[in-house]
Amino acid sequence: MNIKEYISSGIVESYVLGLADATERAEFESMCAEHAEVKAARDNFEVLLEQQAFMNVIHPSKELEKKILAEIEIESYKSSSRVIPFGNSRMDDDSKTISVLKRMRYIVAAAVILLVASTALNFYFYTQSKDNLALYQSEVARSNQLANSNQGLQASLDTFGLVLNDPNMTIIKMPGSNVPKGPSPNSLATVYWNRENREVYLFTNNMPVPVAGKQYQLWAIVDGKPVDAGVFNINRKVTPIKMKPIPNAQAFAITLEREGGSTTPTMDQMYVLGPVKT
Amino acid sequence: MSGFENLYILSLYLSHNYTEYLGTTPTYTEPELVMMLKGRDNQSFSYLYNNYSGALYTIVLQIIPDQELANDVLQEVFINIWRKIDSYDQSKGRLFTWMLNIARNASIDFLRSKAYQNSKKNQEFPEGSESISGQSTHMNTDNIGLKKIVQKLKVESRTLIDLAYFKGYTHEEIAEIEEIPLGTVKTRIRTALIQLREHLK
Repeated sequence: MNIKEYISSGIVESYVLGLADATERAEFESMCAEHAEVKAARDNFEVLLEQQAFMNVIHPSKELEKKILAEIEIESYKSSSRVIPFGNSRMDDDSKTISVLKRMRYIVAAAVILLVASTALNFYFYTQSKDNLALYQSEVARSNQLANSNQGLQASLDTFGLVLNDPNMTIIKMPGSNVPKGPSPNSLATVYWNRENREVYLFTNNMPVPVAGKQYQLWAIVDGKPVDAGVFNINRKVTPIKMKPIPNAQAFAITLEREGGSTTPTMDQMYVLGPVKT
Repeated sequence: MSGFENLYILSLYLSHNYTEYLGTTPTYTEPELVMMLKGRDNQSFSYLYNNYSGALYTIVLQIIPDQELANDVLQEVFINIWRKIDSYDQSKGRLFTWMLNIARNASIDFLRSKAYQNSKKNQEFPEGSESISGQSTHMNTDNIGLKKIVQKLKVESRTLIDLAYFKGYTHEEIAEIEEIPLGTVKTRIRTALIQLREHLK
């Protein structure tokens, strides 16, 4: 059939006004989907009809408006609170149940989307929190380490301050050049000796690292005789090493001995020597 | 997709509430209104009522001229709209056309119900005397709405449209009443509708 003939056959008006039978309706709907002209003719007539329907209208009373709006309130309450239909299954009940189910479909779809999003976020935050925990733990370890070394440093600084601030300290510089034909003329060590409380502190300013199995030993020379003031390892820090207390001395010297020290110094292994200035 | 649809309704709802807050009356496009109605938004229903109740009431009155009975039918029409909004398919026509057909169907169902037929008998007035019966609740609707246009048609077309559209008789029933062949009924109704369209322009 010719489209123009079809459009002007009265089917458009018949369909829109609800006078077409089931066969005509199905045919018209597929024609609308296939032919834009048919759909345009339908739209056109619908608009004409709507415009006409809004001319000289009779309005229902305010009382009726209140009654209808109240009725809809009840309807919306019923449909939102009722999910399972009960009693008879009249057409209305069925269609209401279907509409509830249809709405449930939207709600379920929304819920699924939210669930998926939430799971993804959970996983994301979980991973992040795991990373953060590991980071936190390593930071705590580092912080403890720093605190420990800081404590050590603080203690040695305290000693250092104590040594430098004490007015009773005698400073004995011991250069390697003081030792005739010594093994290390460029070496230097300094003794801080407190004559009042006999405490002895040692700075190893410039001492070669001893070979394995050997250790330096400090000696106080008292009336020409060496007195053991303790063994020590090379300390690269600015802080002094506390040695054995010495009550009296004319000089201090360092020799290289076997590990653990000797009872008498090995004279040809004297590295540094310094007289106590009076 | 459905989830986003709901979000869309929510955003419409929020944005329109906001404009209301600013003191302006919101206006919705038809797709917006449909979306909100399908989302069971009570406010959109008030909007629907305010904008369409007059036109729909006028249609009901053209079929049920008794105002009190028409009130009952209009209430049923709006409840049906609310319940069936999910079945409204925009691809098949405008929202108003859909509601117009609900209003017409509800009115005709009522017109042809036993309750209505009995109430008419009890009135003890012969048929066709509604407009001069003196009952204040009866409206003369010949000069409003679509009926006004139908008045402009030839008598033959007017009768057929009245029987088919305003009384809701099937083509078979009309063929019987008018004592003309079924095929002729169809052709004549189509012709009457084409004339109606010409008068609507």
